Amino acid sequence: MACSRGSWTMHELSIIRSILDIIEEYAEEYRFSKVKSMKISFGRLSRIEPQVLEFTFDIQSTGTKAEGAALEFDIKPIIIHCFSCEKDVELEQYAAECPQCKGSEVLLAGGTEEIQLLEIDVD
Amino acid sequence: MPKITVVKNILDANDRIAEENRKIFDKEKIYVLNLMSSPGAGKTSIVERTIAVLQGKYKIGVIEGDIQGSADAERIAKLGVPVVQINTGGACHIDGNMIREALPGLDLTQTDLLIAENVGNLVCPAEFKIGENVKVMVLSTPEGSDKPAKYPLMFQQSEAMIINKIDLLPYVDFDMAKAKKDALTLNRNLKIFEVSCKTSAGLKDWFNWLSERIESFRSK
Repeated sequence: MACSRGSWTMHELSIIRSILDIIEEYAEEYRFSKVKSMKISFGRLSRIEPQVLEFTFDIQSTGTKAEGAALEFDIKPIIIHCFSCEKDVELEQYAAECPQCKGSEVLLAGGTEEIQLLEIDVD
Repeated sequence: MPKITVVKNILDANDRIAEENRKIFDKEKIYVLNLMSSPGAGKTSIVERTIAVLQGKYKIGVIEGDIQGSADAERIAKLGVPVVQINTGGACHIDGNMIREALPGLDLTQTDLLIAENVGNLVCPAEFKIGENVKVMVLSTPEGSDKPAKYPLMFQQSEAMIINKIDLLPYVDFDMAKAKKDALTLNRNLKIFEVSCKTSAGLKDWFNWLSERIESFRSK
């Protein structure tokens, strides 16, 4: 997350540690020895930085079953619902305004989805 | 071997610990407030003012989350309430586990209201549950009215927003109407208080709201 630059311990660290714990649990259940890739999803507004996640993962996964695994991201778009246009609109950047009618009767409808581990590809 | 479908919330482990904390708080009838904001918005001042008004009515305990140091905890200790300092050692938020480890430092049988002052940060604390009853955020006028648009998750996750330092409105470019509108777009049910810890303006509404919340929790 955004406090990831510099020397701070970051939000991504908590996330990666949780992912590695989940993989250990699954490794026992499904008896695999290596993770080739995994798919992670989160809302774009959760401000998780894929690059920071990858960097943290590379360091933290050393010596685990997930070492060297590729991370694939499914980032959910920012969507607002406009009450004037009566439809959902996808935005590049969050703003409390409909890009089409410029109306401000809008509600955030997507983009803050919680981070999930969707799938792991194993050997 | 084929792909394994997982579909698991990655922060589940933290959520589970938060739920365990919640069970402890329920057993002891403790109302827990998770107070969040950016650094310098006035969290500690809000905590001080809230203690001063509510400590006649409730037994209050405080957990201070800071990256390092104990300056805030010392401020709170002066008011005569038990306070535990958590030093997150660099982490940008407090999580369920840190709260669990802090609990032995408090006499829970002697606590009605537990205030957890989170690490100053508008991003990460929003995603980590600690076992709280309510998440409240503080936004101060010098920070600017663009904050809801920049840090939407915090505004979406909080039940109430305290807009602090309204005494500075004549000196800063803070568009109150825009800040409120943008925040309500993210969270239609957000309760908003406009206050100044300097002049005491608006604080009464906050105290009343919090008291009502505590009373309704205790009467359950």
